[in-house]
Amino acid sequence: MGAVRGVSGALVGAVARTVPWRAVGAGAVVGLLVVGLPRMLSGEPDPWLALNLLRGAALVFALGLAFLLDDPARELTTPVTTPRRLRTSLRVALVAPVAALWWTAALALVPEEARPPLGAITLEAAATVTLALAAAALAVRLTDEPEPGPSVAAAVLTTACLTPLLLPFHWDLFVPVDDPRWDAAHQRWAGVLAGAVLVWAACGPEPLRRRRVLRRDRPAGALGRPGA
Amino acid sequence: MIPTVSASGLSLRYGGTRALDDVSLRLTPGVTGLLGPNGAGKTTLLRVLATAVPADRGAFTVLGHDPSTSRGRQEVRRALGYLPQSPGFHPDFTAFEFVDYVAILKELTDRTARHREVRRVLEEVDLGDVRGRRIKKLSGGMRQRVALAAALVGDPGFLVLDEPTVGLDPEQRMRFRELIAHAGEGRTVLLSTHQTEDVAMLCHRVLVMAAGTIRFDGTPAELTERAAGRVWSSTERAPGAKAGWRTGTGTFRNVGDPPPGADLLEPTLEDGYLLTLDGAGAEVAA
Repeated sequence: MGAVRGVSGALVGAVARTVPWRAVGAGAVVGLLVVGLPRMLSGEPDPWLALNLLRGAALVFALGLAFLLDDPARELTTPVTTPRRLRTSLRVALVAPVAALWWTAALALVPEEARPPLGAITLEAAATVTLALAAAALAVRLTDEPEPGPSVAAAVLTTACLTPLLLPFHWDLFVPVDDPRWDAAHQRWAGVLAGAVLVWAACGPEPLRRRRVLRRDRPAGALGRPGA
Repeated sequence: MIPTVSASGLSLRYGGTRALDDVSLRLTPGVTGLLGPNGAGKTTLLRVLATAVPADRGAFTVLGHDPSTSRGRQEVRRALGYLPQSPGFHPDFTAFEFVDYVAILKELTDRTARHREVRRVLEEVDLGDVRGRRIKKLSGGMRQRVALAAALVGDPGFLVLDEPTVGLDPEQRMRFRELIAHAGEGRTVLLSTHQTEDVAMLCHRVLVMAAGTIRFDGTPAELTERAAGRVWSSTERAPGAKAGWRTGTGTFRNVGDPPPGADLLEPTLEDGYLLTLDGAGAEVAA
């Protein structure tokens, strides 16, 4: 544990440089542009429009975060002693304050009278972003692709476009504030967030678990310490 | 000699393809060459030994450490330097920063000692003068040397090199050959390559893989010996030859079963390799 702490301290600077800041920054800037659009056009504050622009902004930011786990040096840095989970956690920890600031700025761009309930919309944004990160983690876990970001972003965007069209009425996630299904929808959003966190956590370990099976198969006495 | 790496019955399937099929081997200090056609399972074997991917069956140890346990895997990784077939880089890093990053990942936490080690390996691969240059501005050969430096950092006892000379020009390849020979002094190097001349010049031992199995395990001289009496020249392409090509002198060099009275030639390692792949000798020689 001490070693891990020492490594993570030394790692922070280097890992900060491996974060794909351009993609994250692009997502953040375009997201703010989306949510600030009515202000720029001097339009009347519209709660429905504000809600959906905030959703759109969260999606755009999530698309930028879909690149967060891209690692061009993945192949070279796989068999090292510092676990990938630690490196991934560091990247997320470095981006988390940026994401929090960004979301605060996005909310601030929406006039107060048009702003949806903060807790509920923040839950939606958190679920969207976590879903993108879980998809990126899944891509890293299941493929050898060092930079799955573009594919993950495309998958997240497609899912986001199809979900409102394909979800049954009773399971709808994208409901307006005055809809009687608002609370139920946010219970479902909480479920989405929990599911995404679980998937993400499950994707943490590098694919070495199967090795346990080998203990049964190892020929007795086939291997030993050198010279044994 | 005490083996650095000892593997037994390694098998791995990718879908319906048997990438490794009951591979057993022992590696000792020095450079061991791994030859084989594309799809033979060379990279898979290297990735398994580098703990980048687990085998479905079988086991191995590196310097006595068993990677099937978490602690053993860490120990194996501490003893390991790995240069993959297509090493990727963070292009905005300088050569120094990248190798330093890998050094941190290898738990070299003391800044002063780590920087000294990074400078040492960059000097070793002859990149000391360009260590401050961004990787995206380096040539292909220089990038490959950065990757080798990253593999060498921490002075690992077992070095896994997957086709390190692919895509390099002849001069760069010669330079790389020197580096590998130097790296093989006092440590165990497993070198996967398509270049039989690399094996002939560098390796004390050679493995030939095909279809996920080891077809030959012996010295380069023994592999060459397999073609003794089976290489001949002729004025026409010999119909019974397993392989034959017109040389610069206009005569044909044939490999296979020569006709009586054929003008036999001195075999090369490549001839032995071709005949081994052809199934002429599937048994393990050593």
